[in-house]
Amino acid sequence: MDQPELSRHCIPWTPFKGSLGDATVCIVSSAGVRKKTDPPFNTDGDSTFRVIDGAGSDLAYDDSHYDHACADRDINCIFPIDRLAEMKADGTIKGPTAKHFSYGFSMKLRELRDDTFPKLLKEIEAARPDIVVLTGG
Amino acid sequence: MTVQRLIELRGIATVLITVDPEQSAQANPPRALHPRPFVPGHSLGRPNDPALQKRILGDALALVRDAKEPGKIVSRDYGG
Repeated sequence: MDQPELSRHCIPWTPFKGSLGDATVCIVSSAGVRKKTDPPFNTDGDSTFRVIDGAGSDLAYDDSHYDHACADRDINCIFPIDRLAEMKADGTIKGPTAKHFSYGFSMKLRELRDDTFPKLLKEIEAARPDIVVLTGG
Repeated sequence: MTVQRLIELRGIATVLITVDPEQSAQANPPRALHPRPFVPGHSLGRPNDPALQKRILGDALALVRDAKEPGKIVSRDYGG
């Protein structure tokens, strides 16, 4: 049986159980963030996503849609990976997931829907987060 | 269908930090924080201000813990 398309008036809801102190947190960003050692996103349109680990100093971003004054000085303005590490250290959260993810700008909506996002979802699930924080630029 | 809605459908609680709440509202996010007065490129506030960034991130995580119903974009002021 085909799954019905979810109406845009429906809002998916997974209740959070437990405490933040026991939670692992994953960042998923649409801001075109990647590791410095990875090939750049094509800012004219790129349907790939990137897997991110390490620290903020390991990261770069590729974008032509938002103001860069903050992110050029501190990637945590758009991808708070170092802040999550600090929240682990002070016990606010159990910790960040081993992997985070980012995709960039793309107008290929069908490709995103049918290819990119299903693959991205599998990776997110494999990272086993209790919470996902999504950021844009 | 946004990535956030897809993740939530998979049984993982999510929260969006949005600096464009009007656009975000059109997609009916399960949970969202709008940190005022920040704009695109400045979602976590200011560079090299870890206290502010952690406050915004912490407030977003608190929405996951405390929100009782889906679909609210909580707008909060963090100064300029």
